[in-house]
Amino acid sequence: MKKKELKKDPYNVIITGVGGQGNVLASRLLGNMMVNNGYFVTIGETFGASQRGGSVMSHLRISKKSVWSPLIPKGMADMVVSLEPIESIKVMANYGNNKVKIISNTRPIYPVQVIAGELQYPSREDIETTIGELTSDYTFIDATDEAIKLGNPILGNIMMIGAVAGTGILPFDKKDFEKVITNYLPSDKIDANIKAFEIGEKMVH
Amino acid sequence: MKVLGATELKSNVLDKDLCIGCGACIELCPYFKTYRGKTAQLFSCDLKEGRCFAFCPKIEVDLDELSSHYFGKPYEIDPVGTYLAIKKAKAGKSAPSGSFQSGGTVSALISYALSKGIIDSAILTGRNGNDLLPIPEIVTDAAKVASYGTSKYTAAPTLAALNRAVKEGYQKIGFVGTPCQVTATAQMRLNPTSIEDFIDPVSLVIGLFCTWSLDFRVFSEFITEYAKPEEITKIDIPPPPAEIMEVFTGNGKIEIPLSVVRETVPSSCDYCIDMTSEFSDISVGVLEGISDVNTLITRTERGQKLVDEAVSAGYLEIDDIPDENRKHLMEASLNKKKRALKRLQEKGLLNTEEEDKCAILRLNDDALKNMTT
Amino acid sequence: MSFLVDGKKGNKYLLMGNEAIARGALEAGISVAAGYPGTPSSEIIENLAKAAEERNVYVEWSVNEKVAMEVAASAAFAGLRSICTVKQNGVHVASDFFVHLAYSGIRGGMLLILCEDPGAISSINEVDSRYFAKMLEVPLLEPGDFQEAKDMAKWGLELSDEIKSVIMFRSVTRLSHASGNVIIDSLPSVDKTAYFDCHGPVFSDRGPIISAPVPMMHTLQQNKMKKVAEIFEESPFNTYRGPEKPELLIITSSACYLYSIEAVHVLGLGDRVGILKLGTTWPLPPKLIKKHLSSTDNILIIEEVISFMEENIKVLAADFAGEIGVKKFYGKNDGTLPSTNEMNPDILVDALKNVLGIEYTPVPEEYEKNARILAFTKSPNRELTFCPGCPHRASFWSINNVLKMDNRGGFVCGDIGCYTMAILPTGFSTVKTVHAMGSGTGTASGFGKLRQFNMDQPVLSVCGDSTFFHAAMPALVNAVHHKSDITMVILDNSGTAMTGFQPHPGLDYNVTGEKVPSVDIAEVCRAIGARVEVRDPFELEETQNTLMDLFQDTKGAKVLILKQPCSLSPERKGKKNFEMSVNEEICIGENCGCNRLCTRIFRCPGLVWDKEKKVAHIDEVICTGCGVCASICPAGAITKVEVQ
Repeated sequence: MKKKELKKDPYNVIITGVGGQGNVLASRLLGNMMVNNGYFVTIGETFGASQRGGSVMSHLRISKKSVWSPLIPKGMADMVVSLEPIESIKVMANYGNNKVKIISNTRPIYPVQVIAGELQYPSREDIETTIGELTSDYTFIDATDEAIKLGNPILGNIMMIGAVAGTGILPFDKKDFEKVITNYLPSDKIDANIKAFEIGEKMVH
Repeated sequence: MKVLGATELKSNVLDKDLCIGCGACIELCPYFKTYRGKTAQLFSCDLKEGRCFAFCPKIEVDLDELSSHYFGKPYEIDPVGTYLAIKKAKAGKSAPSGSFQSGGTVSALISYALSKGIIDSAILTGRNGNDLLPIPEIVTDAAKVASYGTSKYTAAPTLAALNRAVKEGYQKIGFVGTPCQVTATAQMRLNPTSIEDFIDPVSLVIGLFCTWSLDFRVFSEFITEYAKPEEITKIDIPPPPAEIMEVFTGNGKIEIPLSVVRETVPSSCDYCIDMTSEFSDISVGVLEGISDVNTLITRTERGQKLVDEAVSAGYLEIDDIPDENRKHLMEASLNKKKRALKRLQEKGLLNTEEEDKCAILRLNDDALKNMTT
Repeated sequence: MSFLVDGKKGNKYLLMGNEAIARGALEAGISVAAGYPGTPSSEIIENLAKAAEERNVYVEWSVNEKVAMEVAASAAFAGLRSICTVKQNGVHVASDFFVHLAYSGIRGGMLLILCEDPGAISSINEVDSRYFAKMLEVPLLEPGDFQEAKDMAKWGLELSDEIKSVIMFRSVTRLSHASGNVIIDSLPSVDKTAYFDCHGPVFSDRGPIISAPVPMMHTLQQNKMKKVAEIFEESPFNTYRGPEKPELLIITSSACYLYSIEAVHVLGLGDRVGILKLGTTWPLPPKLIKKHLSSTDNILIIEEVISFMEENIKVLAADFAGEIGVKKFYGKNDGTLPSTNEMNPDILVDALKNVLGIEYTPVPEEYEKNARILAFTKSPNRELTFCPGCPHRASFWSINNVLKMDNRGGFVCGDIGCYTMAILPTGFSTVKTVHAMGSGTGTASGFGKLRQFNMDQPVLSVCGDSTFFHAAMPALVNAVHHKSDITMVILDNSGTAMTGFQPHPGLDYNVTGEKVPSVDIAEVCRAIGARVEVRDPFELEETQNTLMDLFQDTKGAKVLILKQPCSLSPERKGKKNFEMSVNEEICIGENCGCNRLCTRIFRCPGLVWDKEKKVAHIDEVICTGCGVCASICPAGAITKVEVQ
């Protein structure tokens, strides 16, 4: 599973979601694991007003050779990890191509205009059809639902990282995760996070 | 009647300075509020049809529809509208005494109706002690009625209290108001937005005479040059040819030329054809030349019945109206009608044809033709 | 935290640009760091605060950028090394001091670290403040990646200490908030002694510090700049990659360096196009520029935001034209690159395609077109909104209601913070002008004096608690002293919320967690002479009655403090005051009498409209239990039950 070469150099991952879902933490964790395994990593992030209900996007460039731009060029995403289902559609418009691997959470976070009854949020089927038009390689994961079972919906982002590990595409595994997680969270939260990672890993199989 | 929504109400009435602040749109919902005499829309509402538009007396008032419903015939341009009798009247010995504008007729009728349970509540307009701000109130104690006796002269959102009374479940409401307010009440009673299980909650409408009213904010500022608002006890406008407004304070009487006072009249009043509240059960006003007697017009059966009973019970004294007074009343009322109709026609606000525009008034062409003859 | 205090040279980390800058400053042995919160700069001070004790650094969130720069400069006057961190417009707040500091010089080392926001992702301007370096004649450094962010911060402080002049260090969002590999160096001793050596003769470097006599000090500074230009000729932070005689030379700086590498790689132009990356962008090293300009006839200059470098290089090109010939320049001035908004690799790819006549489509046109249509139709936009339970929503609800009822066209002069969003529906569009910190009350002070020109409209300003200390106090003094008829509404949510909840003088703790005296806003306003009222914005009726009362008082400036902590603050986060619920039987919904007031107008994300049942309901996960919506429901269908 681990210690493979990168499928492509640089390998471009976009982690996307809504402000407050732990998007930034997820990208840091993944980035740190890659750095620890000897890779150059560049992460480009947009946050700030995003906490106030806006979309968030992290671009990760993983490379054996050098540092790359914090923004992925158009159409060059290789993997999209979506903490919120419709965010992946937005990302694909600018950075997608028909070979992208999409791993998406299923739990919607409704924009205010949807909550207010003004805009339509697409149905689960509609989202799946739309993503199917953009790429043939996609997996949906009920990360939030599983995270709630574990005790906290915020663990959804860790589950998604576990899912990425489960695909075997990037050279990292649970041991790498255990090493980095201790730098980011207090000790009483570690176990739940590792559990979340494990569940995520299994969900892609 | 053509019923649209809050958006059209705002653009056609509020934004065009036609709002008279009658309160018809207040207390129906959170969007319209009244403050110091002015009606404001707090937020936009996108409903296609609303009670606010339907009740408003300054937009899409179908006079034929009202006349058919209340009087069984299309609208005719009579000087004082449809009526059964015109008398002179004043409060009788049995009526509670108070400080009245003139004859105390309205107070007598209302306190009688309340004490006999003909109405379960009365919508009256009081006054804030510190300034001239009229305050609409729901009154259920007959003994308190007499304290509402003086005319308020500035436009008041009295219908806000009517709407509140309806919400609170009163089912035999007695309403006292000006012609525009009476028109709004008449529209409301038709159930124009087809509310399910609607029962008319208004058992008595007493309309007042009105030639024009005063904008509260403009008048409040204006009057401070002459007197302190909290010291004003009564305001009166004696009949022509006086051409003055009398302002009574603790220190005596101040006279202000009407020509100056007229600058505080809202432009909305220019478009009003109704001097005597034509859609009421009973209309009451001054009797020119005699200070403590009213003119009394009865229009409906239930209005006549109330008057007769009040007379029998000693609450009211009536007599025949002198011919001179009757003639002057007709003239004055018809003049107001003609002036307003002319202005409405000039501004395209009468029987407006265009799809996307609204009229203030609609009435049949025959009535208009007959008027000019 | 570990990367801040790790002493082992050669250790590898994945660091955010701001973290790398903080690390670089520590490696240079700074003793003082001061700043004012401003995206994208805030993490530098936050990180240094974590290491403050262990590395013996005094770290401060100053009341505004001018004072922050003054605080940092004092350390440099006392022989220490210091940094001041600001966002792009923060330099302008500090500029009066900066103008004088540039000539007065320092006795230690000091970096003014400027984190700019091209494209205004978190600002309402995208000013390019590099011009300060040229205007004031101080050196300017621009790191091109994360390793350089650290290395150049360290080197910059050493250089500053050598020439005894403040140096500008400029980063951008895509470096400050991006992350990359950084190898750390060793940390110096933390034993420092400060002494302001000022009792010697005037005009000596042991006397007073002043920028006068001006022509003399100005000349001294220009001499320093000449020396710096020579140092810059040899700087390892100006790098070249590509062929010896490139068909096209790209000259770039900052984040555009990484975009340039990316664009050249994507188009496969590595053997045709050279990239000259400048880390020292003022003064430009003339010999180096001349050397590279002579290697080609075509030059493309890409930078953030204005054509600062482009113009400066063209000046040198004009000077050298006799020797090296006339060159063709591409950039912002000729339209090859857009002259507004931030750069990215795709913009440069398009520019290279045009200049070199190359065909390139990353993705088939059909795919791209379809993907955009799907994004538009299937992916509803995320409107910016106040958080659930935000006190601003309640405050602006009351302000809107009172302004509308007053009915004279009253308006709110806005200011900088989360409440800037009150220009949008989330704040009922009550705010009608926004400029800089404190400008709300300043412009209101002016509007309030226009009564003599028949202006009847009530004038309000809004101002946050942090903004109050930053810049609004003088504006309030102005309004009171000049009897300006305004109502200043201070939205006191106990922190600097928009930038990440930093402390400010209104609180009793500072950035390193120490207990400190707080300054009472109400007392300050009373001392200034305003009539002051304090209310809880969650009590809607009381707030509105107070506002109406204040409107009637036309004697001068009044202050209404609406005090309620931010829903993300430690006091409130995760704690519900009430359990909220909607009684579906009573809910009027979209009918006349309500028309979804709570979900359509109030728009708290915790209130959801159920399209099937045609009633509102509460999302218990999102709702923070503030209780305000219960007060606005016309049917009384929303209930609140106190949480024990």
